[in-house]
Amino acid sequence: MTPAEIPLIPPSETAAIAGNEVTRGDVEQVERALIDASTRVPVLMFYTSAILWLLAGTVLAMLTSFKMHMPDLLGGVSFLTWGRLRPAHMNAMVYGWAVNVGIGTAIWLMARLCRTTLRYPLLLVAGAAFWNLGVTIGIIAIFAGDSTGHQWLEFPPYAAVILFVAYSLIVSWAILMFRFRRSGHIYITQWYLLAAFLWFPWLYGATQIMLFVVPVQGVMQAAVTWWFANNLMFLFFGSIALGTAYYMIPKVIGRPVYSYHLAAIGFWTYALFASWTGMQRMIDGPFPAWMITASIAALILAIIPVATVGLNHHMTMQGNFPLMRYSPTLRFTVFGAIAYTVFSLLGILISLRSMARYVHFTQASIAYSHLGLYGFYTMIMFGSMYYIVPRLVGREWRYASLIKLHFWSAAYGAMLMVVMLFVGGIVQGRDLDNTALSFTESTQSILPYLRGRSISGILMTVAHFVFAFHFGLMLLGLGRTATLPTFLNPKEEDLVPH
Amino acid sequence: MKGVLPLFLGIFGTFAFSWIGLTMVPNAQIGHLDSQVNKDDENDIYPMPKSGMAERGRKIYIANGCVYCHTQQVRPEYGGADIERKWGDRRSAPRDYIFERPALLGKMRMGPDLANVGKRAPAEEASPSASPAASAPATVAASSPAPSPSAAPAAAASPAAAMNAQTTEGSAGPTVTSVNGVPLLYSTAWHHRHLYAPRTITQESTMPAYRFLYEKRQISGEPAADAIILPAANAPPEGWEIVPTYDAKCLVAYLMSLDQSHALAEVKSSAPATAAAPAKPAK
Repeated sequence: MTPAEIPLIPPSETAAIAGNEVTRGDVEQVERALIDASTRVPVLMFYTSAILWLLAGTVLAMLTSFKMHMPDLLGGVSFLTWGRLRPAHMNAMVYGWAVNVGIGTAIWLMARLCRTTLRYPLLLVAGAAFWNLGVTIGIIAIFAGDSTGHQWLEFPPYAAVILFVAYSLIVSWAILMFRFRRSGHIYITQWYLLAAFLWFPWLYGATQIMLFVVPVQGVMQAAVTWWFANNLMFLFFGSIALGTAYYMIPKVIGRPVYSYHLAAIGFWTYALFASWTGMQRMIDGPFPAWMITASIAALILAIIPVATVGLNHHMTMQGNFPLMRYSPTLRFTVFGAIAYTVFSLLGILISLRSMARYVHFTQASIAYSHLGLYGFYTMIMFGSMYYIVPRLVGREWRYASLIKLHFWSAAYGAMLMVVMLFVGGIVQGRDLDNTALSFTESTQSILPYLRGRSISGILMTVAHFVFAFHFGLMLLGLGRTATLPTFLNPKEEDLVPH
Repeated sequence: MKGVLPLFLGIFGTFAFSWIGLTMVPNAQIGHLDSQVNKDDENDIYPMPKSGMAERGRKIYIANGCVYCHTQQVRPEYGGADIERKWGDRRSAPRDYIFERPALLGKMRMGPDLANVGKRAPAEEASPSASPAASAPATVAASSPAPSPSAAPAAAASPAAAMNAQTTEGSAGPTVTSVNGVPLLYSTAWHHRHLYAPRTITQESTMPAYRFLYEKRQISGEPAADAIILPAANAPPEGWEIVPTYDAKCLVAYLMSLDQSHALAEVKSSAPATAAAPAKPAK
């Protein structure tokens, strides 16, 4: 949050102001501004499409949520049936929102950290266009009843191929940037981003081949599907989110990461253990028990990266927590980082066999997925957008009040949703396990919690539409022209940290 | 971090470890199973591929997202109350799914497990592989045995009421196809009515109605044999009838084909295993 970190003045003016005494700081600021300018079009394109998908996914989510306790709502039309809305919502959020926003942020971070301008940005724009084409075709296919039936992989192969080609275009550019980096040192964020970029095509390609080209037999399809789903969550979204947090937290508070050593331990244990999770989602299913046990063990061992990353962030933040009062980026990022810890602990809790007896096959797993993809990943991505977008459009966020509204409704929405679904899941599972009660009573007992979840959904809908409006203002150049970023509580006099 | 090479090798190596460990090794272990053939009776092969209609029904099942609320897997006794709930006599095993593409295991139970729903059909409709010994109508042991004969026909029928009605009438012989206007539990007619109007069977059901799989048409001549019998509140106007489309028939054919009751050598069954009469009615 130091003024040097806010290169809002166009480079030409900066040079003019500097006059004869061009300092090293000025040169770096000009360099950063040039790099930002080179990423402007593709990153804004990824962000804009991400936000459009976020809105679409939110509307689908609301329909899905309300239909769970009002089953006759909008019934009788094939493409509005619950079983099509749900995968459409999930795929819009995962492939539309989460991947688009993640790539946008990752490209910007990569360019900044490699200290290189983005070459031929229009090719990335083509990649973004193809990606969105693939997602659109996939969603239409789900509505038309052409889903593959593999959870998290509902897009039919013809949409998946487009996605794969688009992704290859995108990732080649990111890797090229890394190849032409001008900074010898490889920062922690770059480890995570490189890993995410390289893991995704392998993960997606291998899964598509094992499911559709040379399909594996029977239950192995489910094993591959859940291996994919968990690795997409951890190794792709998780890596991008952790990498972003490693950049944003030190950057905003203006001091280096507490320990590189801890960061290295955190990264490698994450790669090793998180990649082995997935089968705990099929606990006690028709699989050899060792597969499930291995995943549970990996999930428990993944507490090592959680602890090291958490400790590292905490020690970096030490003494600077009050800054969360002012910086939107920090507020969202810290929320996401804390959610990562809770997400990991909850994952272990619901996977222990003694607990799984009660929460398996219930809404608790939906709570877990949303805590990961929303509380952890999406919140960190929101934070990164609050940091990056002003640097792309040369304007500051217009209303601090809208940012606060966004944060609080998203945070309360996410927390309420997780609590409702997790507690509801336990109640549902307890009744499911009690054979003195009929099956219908287990689905009856969760209804109040599902209604509560719909309320949390309303909060999140408010958050997303507010954010989309604010982002729209920025895109149209209606942000503030100022040299200071938008602080959340600007009336305070103590804007300067320390 | 020093050097790009260790970084790339590490990223590659960790993921390869997981890929091989969680997909390739299990695939070598359980990815190439064959059907089980009874040594004494070579016609006793399990599992068998599904019929054409049932295969098409699986696509309808997938298209409408049934898998997001219904599982098709029975957990072992130590893992949950599945067997106690009569969702199967034994846990599901990899061999049960060798012809399933995709294997619709599911991971949510907003609706009951369907791994053996075809098995639970009244005996005269059970799959052709059923042993002739199983001619008596299957009775479903309702967990709450209080009979409610006074239940208003259909409109207020709860699952317990439906179950009890069937249990009570079960001894009346195979000619009974419906009780108080409600078709026998898990019969073809029951599935069609349940899909068309779930809340006429279980008032508290949260299942969506799949009306788009059914056709409302004017009766020309005789009413169709497969027209859905509905209580007055949901019935079509005079002279009209609701009939299943081909998709609906396929979907029900698929549901009726779901049956994992056949004994498997590698799985211990809670039911007294008799290899000769594996298709024994649900107890």
